[in-house]
Amino acid sequence: MDHLYENLHADGLISDESFEKIKQKQDLFSVHWEIKTLLYLGVLLLTSGLGLLIYKNIDTIGHQAVLALIALICIGCLAYCFKTCFPFSADKVEAPNTAFDYVLLLGSISFLTFVGYLQFEYKVFGTNYGLAILIPMLVLFFLAYYFDHLGVLNIAIGNLAVWMGVSVTPKQLLLNSDFNSETIIYTYLVLGIILLTGAYLTQRLNFKKHFKFSYQHYGVHVAFIALLAGYFFYYNSAFCFLWILGLFSLAWFIYCDAFQNQSFYFLLLVILYSYIAVSSLAVRVFMQVQDEGALYLMLLYFIGSGIGLILFLVKLNKKIKTS
Amino acid sequence: MIAYNKTWLANLRLQNALEKDKLKGHITNAEFKAVADKYPVGFYTPGVFARVGLFILTCIVVGFADGLLTLMFASASELIETPGWIFLLAILSYIALEVIVNSKHHFRSGVDDALLFISALLFSVACGMLFSHYNTVYYLPISAAIFVLSLYFSIRFVNILMGAVCCAALLAFVYFTWTKFIPSGMATIPFVIMLASGGLYWLCREYGKHKMLADYQNCFIMAQIVFLLTLYAAGNYYIVQTLSNQISGQPGRTIPFGAFFWLWTMVLPFVYIGFGIRKKDGILLRTGLMLVAGAIITFRYYYHVLPLDTALSIGGVLVLGIAYAVMKYLKEPQFGFTYAEPVTEDMMDHLKVESLIVAETFAKAPIAPAEERTRFGGGDFGGGGSSGGF
Repeated sequence: MDHLYENLHADGLISDESFEKIKQKQDLFSVHWEIKTLLYLGVLLLTSGLGLLIYKNIDTIGHQAVLALIALICIGCLAYCFKTCFPFSADKVEAPNTAFDYVLLLGSISFLTFVGYLQFEYKVFGTNYGLAILIPMLVLFFLAYYFDHLGVLNIAIGNLAVWMGVSVTPKQLLLNSDFNSETIIYTYLVLGIILLTGAYLTQRLNFKKHFKFSYQHYGVHVAFIALLAGYFFYYNSAFCFLWILGLFSLAWFIYCDAFQNQSFYFLLLVILYSYIAVSSLAVRVFMQVQDEGALYLMLLYFIGSGIGLILFLVKLNKKIKTS
Repeated sequence: MIAYNKTWLANLRLQNALEKDKLKGHITNAEFKAVADKYPVGFYTPGVFARVGLFILTCIVVGFADGLLTLMFASASELIETPGWIFLLAILSYIALEVIVNSKHHFRSGVDDALLFISALLFSVACGMLFSHYNTVYYLPISAAIFVLSLYFSIRFVNILMGAVCCAALLAFVYFTWTKFIPSGMATIPFVIMLASGGLYWLCREYGKHKMLADYQNCFIMAQIVFLLTLYAAGNYYIVQTLSNQISGQPGRTIPFGAFFWLWTMVLPFVYIGFGIRKKDGILLRTGLMLVAGAIITFRYYYHVLPLDTALSIGGVLVLGIAYAVMKYLKEPQFGFTYAEPVTEDMMDHLKVESLIVAETFAKAPIAPAEERTRFGGGDFGGGGSSGGF
């Protein structure tokens, strides 16, 4: 490896000064990600352990000790965070140290466990279950904004969905969701619009701009899936085309926004979701024709459109790279 | 041998090395640009999201094209039910791959990845069909064929995944050969796999860094990981017992040399970690850390010393304690170790992967009792149901 720099130096591609710097450099072995993974695992194990412990020991004397322990952990963690954090700002605030994020995470999760237990055992919020989710959710949003923590923000967004009666995390979205109900489709649509509005406002008001990704990520998936589900739900009535229309206008909006922000991730999502919509329309047309030729045409459509999209993506990628 | 332009591959390595120096501030941007201009890379390599998109779209195109071909010949003959047909489709994908790589200079663009995997998959399926007769599957020739195939693909396309498949297929071949031709093969197979993995790991580590093999660095890293994992798995108590039960057909039998296998299960991860720290070898260290989890799960499978909740809590406290101690110890870099963040840009930052994982794993935090009906806004419909999510 040293040979390489000597050659570059001899060719005059690297100045004397930089060459000295490279000679001086010492490669430290960084265990940064190992430490972060360990901290994350520790928080995960501890919170799930305590969560199980308290529900198993309900109605025994032990559970009050566990409850006190959880409260203690929660208060301790949050007190530490308030003490060490940097002053609040509408921009990105760096964490004071590596452990900070995980202390906050531990505090937030134990807070959730604590409130959940209070509700379960003492019915603090009575039968007003909405309130029992709303209040922890608001606290989570506050913590996320105050300490600038993306993970807590995402948990808060997840809670917002739960409060509305649905779920946003990919696994549950795919496995447990039942899109055969009008109510759920509309709920998802409203949730998606709320999240996308949040993303828009975050950028517009220049308030914690780096949070935009989280809102937009969940918002885009939820909104597109809801619109597609709506289309298939009303497949046999003319009403379904309104959903497709909504989908394409949303796609155009996100497309422009993603292009402006140079975000290829959202461009890709828009393209793929729109492709699903266009293809389902195309398949619908081919199905109308009761003929074997239509089947061939359909296959040809997929091959042709696929190749076309590949060329389009390649071109788009070049455009974004150069601009 | 390599399908990609070798000069460009070398230049890419150079640029990657210098990019790190640039980020650390050892060299200036102008210098980096001068080097990059002198040693250009002509590949078409888009960003990671474009790569994913191109991968998906290529799979769609190839899938429907194969479907169209099959449909066209379906009425003509019974050709499409033979392995030969799959071979033909595999060869077509392979030709497309060569064309894309040679004339369009795609390198890790998603298109070449997809064509590579599809053609490798089709070849393997065709081999599987060829070497099975009704309900009997002949694993020995299949593993040999897959080994040869993936070896060819990894050599020609420098692909990491193919490298991993190749290593696994080689060990599978050793396994099936040994158990078929050696009389007491089943009793000795753990030791044979151990020897094979250990030896191959040593070879990869010792000779993988050779200058001649510079293009295959990542493949050799993958190979090391695979062989370290198989070395552990070959002596893992649970795996050995399950295998021997399956062969003898009597469940719950204790296995000979049980103490040896227990020792192997519990101690080997820590041996990996120890060597990883001593040699500053990230592969050994990380594989060891992962396998500690394997050791704990194996142990808990046989001995329920603590209820799950207590075990989780204590484990959490322990892990946090260890992390805290290491951080405290490495406040100032010690023996060339640091816990400061490495200055590399990677895709994790772009996607904010960490926060998404946090949301996924903590989504089920117990926040309220199960059967309840939430009310949406001030509206008039309850949206609980199956997707309530807790």
